[in-house]
Amino acid sequence: MSRVNERFDLAPVLHPGGQVDAERTLHRAPSSARRRRKARTGGLLVTPALALIVAFVLFPLGFAIYISLTNWPLIGPYHYIGLENYRELFHDPEFLHSVRFTVTYTAIVTLPIFFLGYGLAVLLRANRFGSKVFRTLFFLPFVVGLTTESFMFAIELQPGAGWVDWAMSHLGLASATQAWTVTHDRTLLTISVIVIWFASGLTMLILTGGMQGIPRELYEAADVDGASWLKKELRITIPLLRRSIALSLIISVIGSFLAFNQFFILAQNNASLETVVEWVYQTAFTSYHLAYGTSMALLLVIVIGIVSMAQFLALRGETEL
Amino acid sequence: MSDVALEPTRRAQRGRRDRSANFYAYLVVSITLALFFVLPLVWEAARSFQPANLAAATPRGADFTHFTLGNYRAVFSQEHILTNVLNSLVVAVGTALLTTIVATLAGYGLAKFRFRGSGLAFAAILLALMIPFQAVLTPLFIELNDMHLTNSLVGLILVYTTFNLPFGVFVMRNTFQQIPQELFESAEVDGAGVMTTLVRVLRPLIVPGLATTAIFAFLYSWNEFLQALTFLETDSKLTLPVKLFDIDTSTYGAINYGYLSSGIVIAMVPCIVLYLALQRYYVQGLMSGAVKG
Repeated sequence: MSRVNERFDLAPVLHPGGQVDAERTLHRAPSSARRRRKARTGGLLVTPALALIVAFVLFPLGFAIYISLTNWPLIGPYHYIGLENYRELFHDPEFLHSVRFTVTYTAIVTLPIFFLGYGLAVLLRANRFGSKVFRTLFFLPFVVGLTTESFMFAIELQPGAGWVDWAMSHLGLASATQAWTVTHDRTLLTISVIVIWFASGLTMLILTGGMQGIPRELYEAADVDGASWLKKELRITIPLLRRSIALSLIISVIGSFLAFNQFFILAQNNASLETVVEWVYQTAFTSYHLAYGTSMALLLVIVIGIVSMAQFLALRGETEL
Repeated sequence: MSDVALEPTRRAQRGRRDRSANFYAYLVVSITLALFFVLPLVWEAARSFQPANLAAATPRGADFTHFTLGNYRAVFSQEHILTNVLNSLVVAVGTALLTTIVATLAGYGLAKFRFRGSGLAFAAILLALMIPFQAVLTPLFIELNDMHLTNSLVGLILVYTTFNLPFGVFVMRNTFQQIPQELFESAEVDGAGVMTTLVRVLRPLIVPGLATTAIFAFLYSWNEFLQALTFLETDSKLTLPVKLFDIDTSTYGAINYGYLSSGIVIAMVPCIVLYLALQRYYVQGLMSGAVKG
């Protein structure tokens, strides 16, 4: 309170001519001054965060729109070219291939990640002995991160040197010296398996969170009615899990759509395995077509926005947890 | 289906027998799956302790009698990769600290103060949550270059912090909203200023939020690859993932797999340790549902 008094200007009170005003000020000013001061404090508290977000997210986003309408080179003059970059994109076979490839890759990995994650969540749902430990272990590949793991598999996929060859030939699934990352199909399959291994733990955790919110009584009631396991899953778990399912699918689809590390590290020399983000990176920073690369990056924002919306709408139900 | 028809006692007996058979099935399946998920990581740790010549050969059981610290000694004696490990540590700790501080202030401001533009500020932060950094990689590079923040760890920390902020502000705003209003009011009556209230009164209550924000920021920046690859240039500035990429793609003769695998293990360990220590807060963050892929 002392600081409020310090800041409050007492001059009108002491002024002989303005007693009425002074009284009004005395009664009203402290609260409004305090409110104003609190408002200013609130603004100040948010400023650093806002400054960073404006500087490194919103400004670059606006800048990206501007760049995409020019022929921005690395150095030298540039001029406005309208939607030329966007028109060019749709006639660029390399770009169109990267889009098709990314969509294919996303289509391949999304459901296996989801079903494996769902299975893991169901397996550990009852919180039996060891469930917590198993949950932690299943999640470790996600914690370590796909970048580090891509380097790991860069070693382990070496024909004749890595364990993948050794293990697969012992399991009778491959010959002893298999080139895992040479042909298109096999590389895509190999990377997909690695990503499923990496990401299903995340789906498991998200779904586990949702499952813990489902009242036990519902299952007990279903047991009394003699419902089968499948029926309980379809009638109780899945409807009540909609939000978690939507969340896990959105995270998984967006992650696949933005894939870069695993392909950049494990399939460097294979142009047929170029994802959209790889294409943006190569176009902007290897070929230095900055404006052209940026126009694609902006389309990415729109596509990702649409994917999120579509999945939310598709999975939004009357029953929300 | 026939459960219903069974007498109560027989049902109970059957239930118990089922449970133990069930339990062993559960255990076998879980252990098999745990091996599937963890063995590749454990194997890499084992490989990193093998001599470099064996590390490049097909695995054989006998190899595991030749444990050596040679790869790690090489990693730590060669100045460069040690520098890169330290760079990663500086960037990850710096990002975690800065994100936590800035997100705490903003979360406090948005949750407990009413001011003009607060709705707009929150909308801007929400918008940022939906924009993947990949979408602004090029303009961000041009901007940082103009600000002399490319090839700079400070620049990288600022960018990493920014992309961790939306999530952090979200978490901290929720944390502050859960604190009863009376606590703020009584602190104010006692004459505590805004900062004093935050540090003295609220600190113990916001620790879970701080831990969640910090662990996500740390793991993000420790593992981040594409931005570091784009914004850093000279060898002495690279973070560990980019350095590992350089080792993996080096054109100077054969790749030293022993060396690379020990670098990989060094990249893995902080993630695992931090996750095991702060698991509860990590999971809480995930459940808040504001995580991007």
